[in-house]
Amino acid sequence: MMTSMAGTVSRTRSLSSTALVVIVGAIIVLVYGQQYAGSVFILSACYAIVTAGMAVQIGFSQQIAFSQSVFMGVGAYGVALLNTHYNMPVLVATPVVMIGAALAALLLGSVVTRASGLALAVATLMLPLIAVGYVSSAGYLGGVVGAPLSGTLWPSSSTAAIAVGGGLVVIAFLGIAMFVASRILSSDIGLELFVLGVDERTAAAMGVRTPRRKLELFVLGCVFAALGGAAYAGTQQFVPETLVDPTAELALLIMLFIGGRRSILGAVVGALVIQYLQGASNWVSVNILVVEGVLLTVVLLVDPEGLAGIVNTGVAWLRARRAGEAAPSRRGEWPIQLAIGRWMGHSSGKETVDGAAQPGADGAPRDAGADGAVVAAAGFAAGGARVEVAAGAAHAGVPLLECRAIGKEYGGLTVLDDVTLALPDRGLFGLCGPNGAGKTTLLNVIGGSVPPSRGQVLLDGEDITRRPPQERFHQGISRTFQAVHLVKGRTVLDNVAVSCLASHNSSIVSRVGRSRLAEAREKAAQTLTDLGMQRLKDREVSSLTLENQRMVELARALAPSPRLLLLDEPASGLSEEQRRRLADLLRQVGDRTCVLLIEHDLELVAQVSSRIFVLSSGRLVFDGGPSDFRASPVVNSLLVGL
Amino acid sequence: MKFGNLVLAGLVTGSIYAVFAVCVAVWYRVCNILNLAVGDFAMVGALGVDNLYRVKGLPLPVAIATTLIVVGAFAYAYDQVVLRIAQDGPRRSEGIVVTFFFTFALSFFIDGVAKMLFGTDVHAAPALWNGQSLTFASLHLERAGLLVLLCAIVIGGAFWVYIRYTLGGKALEASGENSIGARIVGIDTRRYRRLIFVATALIAAVFGIVESPITGYTYLSGATISLTGFLAAAYGGFRKPGRALLAGLFIGVLEALLGGYVSAEYGDTVLYAILAAMVLAWPRGLGFESAVSG
Repeated sequence: MMTSMAGTVSRTRSLSSTALVVIVGAIIVLVYGQQYAGSVFILSACYAIVTAGMAVQIGFSQQIAFSQSVFMGVGAYGVALLNTHYNMPVLVATPVVMIGAALAALLLGSVVTRASGLALAVATLMLPLIAVGYVSSAGYLGGVVGAPLSGTLWPSSSTAAIAVGGGLVVIAFLGIAMFVASRILSSDIGLELFVLGVDERTAAAMGVRTPRRKLELFVLGCVFAALGGAAYAGTQQFVPETLVDPTAELALLIMLFIGGRRSILGAVVGALVIQYLQGASNWVSVNILVVEGVLLTVVLLVDPEGLAGIVNTGVAWLRARRAGEAAPSRRGEWPIQLAIGRWMGHSSGKETVDGAAQPGADGAPRDAGADGAVVAAAGFAAGGARVEVAAGAAHAGVPLLECRAIGKEYGGLTVLDDVTLALPDRGLFGLCGPNGAGKTTLLNVIGGSVPPSRGQVLLDGEDITRRPPQERFHQGISRTFQAVHLVKGRTVLDNVAVSCLASHNSSIVSRVGRSRLAEAREKAAQTLTDLGMQRLKDREVSSLTLENQRMVELARALAPSPRLLLLDEPASGLSEEQRRRLADLLRQVGDRTCVLLIEHDLELVAQVSSRIFVLSSGRLVFDGGPSDFRASPVVNSLLVGL
Repeated sequence: MKFGNLVLAGLVTGSIYAVFAVCVAVWYRVCNILNLAVGDFAMVGALGVDNLYRVKGLPLPVAIATTLIVVGAFAYAYDQVVLRIAQDGPRRSEGIVVTFFFTFALSFFIDGVAKMLFGTDVHAAPALWNGQSLTFASLHLERAGLLVLLCAIVIGGAFWVYIRYTLGGKALEASGENSIGARIVGIDTRRYRRLIFVATALIAAVFGIVESPITGYTYLSGATISLTGFLAAAYGGFRKPGRALLAGLFIGVLEALLGGYVSAEYGDTVLYAILAAMVLAWPRGLGFESAVSG
């Protein structure tokens, strides 16, 4: 109940900020619409529409694309052309232009969004340069002079009605933009976007279809910009060439960062403040560069999250003061007690994300914990037979995972050399080897984040070598990372919910309607409760101890009930006592699912694994049970140093 | 000889881009910040000398020295006040905020102050080497152009030697690779950040003084130069000054050839389209690390 409440609260809060802007904006337009101050306010609202889109694309999802001013130009020039040459009313031309902009953005985006990080920024940085070069020489757009409009956003014979009516339409546009943006950000897709922004690799490993999301974000940013541009053209009745140049782009970015890049309201307020100051004060207008430079520096120094961040920190501080509490401390954090049995009981009955097949579903006979390892150790035949009964997904005798002659080179360096192994549908399998042996690379090849140079990866006998990590996640492969990859700035609950999202096949626009974040959070909360970690639910992850961070990552990997769990040194940095608890948990997980475990603690591996693989310099040098492992001269000389 | 002259002109423009690209790349290597204000220091150099010499009537050497001292002192103060809080303070800023936006704000600030002090007209520092343009066979080269080329070679070469052969250069590399690791082994990473920042600001100012007689500067010229330098640095993989230098020259020559043979009007548009296509075609090969996220 608590979790669904949390989802609803943030959604309603974001709506109330939209309502606030619309109501206050409408009042300002009605009262001052015919005066100079009112017209300045309306102009700033046009920019605010653009920055609302930027908050989603650039601030929240960290996809830095310098395409906003260009698409603002597309909207403005498009409306000007349709209005002046085809006599189309501005209000009719606006949706036409937005559709055009969406199509153009789809085309352009399908090329540029293949790039990520700096490459995306640099490639799109050319767009304003190309646009301004084109526009300044294009006669039909008015060249350097600019393009006039014959009509207005709100056609009327009285100037008062034109000003006030047009202003109200702009405020309505702004309201729609904020509504759409905040609905998306507060939904389950908003969580996807947040992870994408922090770490694209983790997002892909957790099933987020990153190429699709990046394209959608690009199109969304462009359409918002086009709407802002159309509003600009309709209210100013003139489109200057400077609307599309790089300086305009940079000015938009400054508005976003001063206001607060991750907050829709912040981005809108940033645009309103900067643009309004510029129009209202002559001194500011003349010295706008100095003002923007100083403001941006000061805001970033005080809080990188901008004005919104400063306000949030202030509010939190006031609240803490009123409640008589100090700043959040690590008070009360002690190692969580993993409640293993309950995890077993609960999650086997839970439905899975995206309908991924789940071994060990209800009805399948489950061995008691003690003989689970024995069964797994019995090998492939028994494992395969069980798959048929339990999951019905694999054929008898076909291993769950098969690596065939995997090879990987980086430049001239051979990291993996002809590695062949097969794993049944349940059991715990150790992967050992000295540093640099290729263990993590093998895990990455299986998980899909690193393509092998040679060889094949098969899941249920199906070749998945070329599939990206997100598709493998949907087929039931889940993983943890060697260095903890949690999403900072979010709670434990949200971090676990990341792997429970049912939104991967839905479009961004669908989340304007219904969010399914609450469901994902409920599932995550259930997993946390089952693991005995519910106490940590609302903590921000970077405030946790290393052990608890690792446990959260493990919970995130377990929550979707994977068929194949890849664990990269889950015990590193843990104490003896913590390791023992982890071993207990792993053993029981291995009863239900297939676990491939990289670990340096040989005793831990020998205790929990039914079969152990040893890699050395990229080659598989040992493959056998724990007793052979303990006795093997290869293992002893390689790993123990005997 | 149109081709030869175009290439020569392209090399001169290209060497401007190249120097700024090298400045961006070296500093990025030290502290993982892209200096988007480096071109603005060039603008201050050019317009500052012009203002002191032509308007205030100071002798040229005094004007140059004063301008350079002001630029150096400002860069030092900026590092001490802003960058120190941003990078070394208790609330260390991270990711794109630092990579892009601090020096971006600095660029706006410098341009705004320049507008207050120098106005909006096109000006240039007086030519340092007066006379007719030089002619070899049918190739023409302005004297200032030759100076620009020489400066580029000296600056590029000096950085190359410094990084490649001196202990300071190794320490500088270490600072950017792993700042904490560098500090553990006793490298004062902050000192290198400050040193290179002030040095590149001074280099940019000198370059602006030498180059401005060719193109003429306004208070907004700095942003354009920074942008092209940034692009050239990008094609050099941001961290590699040598490749940044070559990329700058390449962009300059390509720009001149496109302007001469394709279209004077749309030459730049085509140039940027080609550059964008290159980033998208070989993002790995050109060395675009995902420096933005995280």
